[in-house]
Amino acid sequence: MSAAAETGALLEHLFRHQSGRITAHLTRLLGPEHLDTAEEAVQEAMLRALQTWPYQGMPENAAAWLFRVAHNSAIDGVRRNQVAGQKRDAVVAELTRSTALAPGDPDFEEQLRDDELRMIFMCCHPEISLDARVALSLKTVSGFSVREIARAFLADDEAIAQRLVRAKRQIRSHHLALDMPLGPELQQRLGAVMEVIYFQFNEGYAAHEGEELIRQDLCLEALRLGRLLASSSIAVPRVHALVAVMALQAARLPARTDDAGDLILLEDQDRSRWDQRLIALGFRHFDRSIAGDEVSEYHVQAAIAATHARGAVDWPTVLDLYDQLLAMNGSPVVALNRAVAVAKVRGPAEALLAIEPLATDPKLRGYYLLLAVRGHLLLELEQRAEAAGCFRAALQCRCSEPERRFLRRKLAECEPR
Amino acid sequence: MSQYMLLLYEDPSGWQKMSPEEMQKAIEKYSAWSKKPFVMNGKRLAEEPGRVVRPHDGKPRATDGPYSETKEILGGFYTIEAANYDEAVERSLDHPHLKFGGTIEVRHLHGT
Repeated sequence: MSAAAETGALLEHLFRHQSGRITAHLTRLLGPEHLDTAEEAVQEAMLRALQTWPYQGMPENAAAWLFRVAHNSAIDGVRRNQVAGQKRDAVVAELTRSTALAPGDPDFEEQLRDDELRMIFMCCHPEISLDARVALSLKTVSGFSVREIARAFLADDEAIAQRLVRAKRQIRSHHLALDMPLGPELQQRLGAVMEVIYFQFNEGYAAHEGEELIRQDLCLEALRLGRLLASSSIAVPRVHALVAVMALQAARLPARTDDAGDLILLEDQDRSRWDQRLIALGFRHFDRSIAGDEVSEYHVQAAIAATHARGAVDWPTVLDLYDQLLAMNGSPVVALNRAVAVAKVRGPAEALLAIEPLATDPKLRGYYLLLAVRGHLLLELEQRAEAAGCFRAALQCRCSEPERRFLRRKLAECEPR
Repeated sequence: MSQYMLLLYEDPSGWQKMSPEEMQKAIEKYSAWSKKPFVMNGKRLAEEPGRVVRPHDGKPRATDGPYSETKEILGGFYTIEAANYDEAVERSLDHPHLKFGGTIEVRHLHGT
């Protein structure tokens, strides 16, 4: 009896991960224009598992079972949907041959990993619009359902479903292939892939609204994809830098809220609750990221995260790093984060001056964190009434319940003593 | 100890929209339940429409079915041990099937 059969528990996220790799593998065999058929076959296999395993018990090798049943279902799908036209017999033969291969065999595992990578690269093809890339990658590579994606992005199911339909239409009409791009195009596409992964990570990490659990899954899934890239032959140093940032930041996830679900600021966090495994992983990739001359934004972000992870924070160094980052990426969010370091090094008055221009930036309009930082700085300067005004305005912005409680706590601190 | 049959009815369309992660969590819950010491066995009924044989003008005839009026179909069954009906019902109360919108019919196996 397998471990799963004894305990009734499967490997964590097994279905989600298998869903991505089997879809990728089937899509390569069927052709990307038949992505729907591949997805249906995988869904069918998982549904079959859901219907039979509770009664019959779990199979010895759950992954291999899903792989085999999905293949058989794909063969049915090819016949039923008239997939592949004249090439149908060849496709069926190829599927049948592939069914006999066993996941777990090292060579075949490598092939599956390559299929997954090709799939991520296709999802980030320039012909597919930016917003659709993230949704498509979450759906096909990461095994999220439409509803889960909608929950993570506070969108409605219908909007996400439409985005996916559009992306698949683009795949068909541009005849996108499941091939790795070559030469300069590879580097360009790699950049797009990393952007999608980092975007996904940040969406999960930034605690706006939405469900905490699904957001954490988004972070860990982004980290998994980053590691997948890092383990491949195309891993350039900035890929390791990306993995380092994500791992070092994700390590802090368990310490970000207290037992009551209230937010804890970085400097007040209980470091013993940081995930040491992820910190070690982050530093391993950080070390590998400094091979070579390239200094990307990911490198600077990783260096900042590493400084925080080392314990006693060297704020002047953090400020230097933020100066570098701001020079590379003039985003107002980076400028806002930099202001926190300015306050630590040069005092709150300087920091207030630094965020002055941000108040009129349209990208930060209605962003509670700008108001919260401003309020925090004013409070340090004992300008209590002005600080209270900021926190009150911040409470009017879109933010999560824990953030709201945090702002109310700060507002209470503004009471004259 | 008497034996009771738990007949599990389900609405198959409710499962179509589940994500892989949700399906895995459901399987784990079902499996954990089916490992309880009082569960003797369980079987899944295959999905294709079965056949119903009934007399038609005095002669037995088979038709595809059963197509029930309701959306719920009989999906599978477990045999469990319990001292009496109350205990049998008690033991099915925490079955995850109920959380996923299913219905459980509890029947005593005569003579056990």
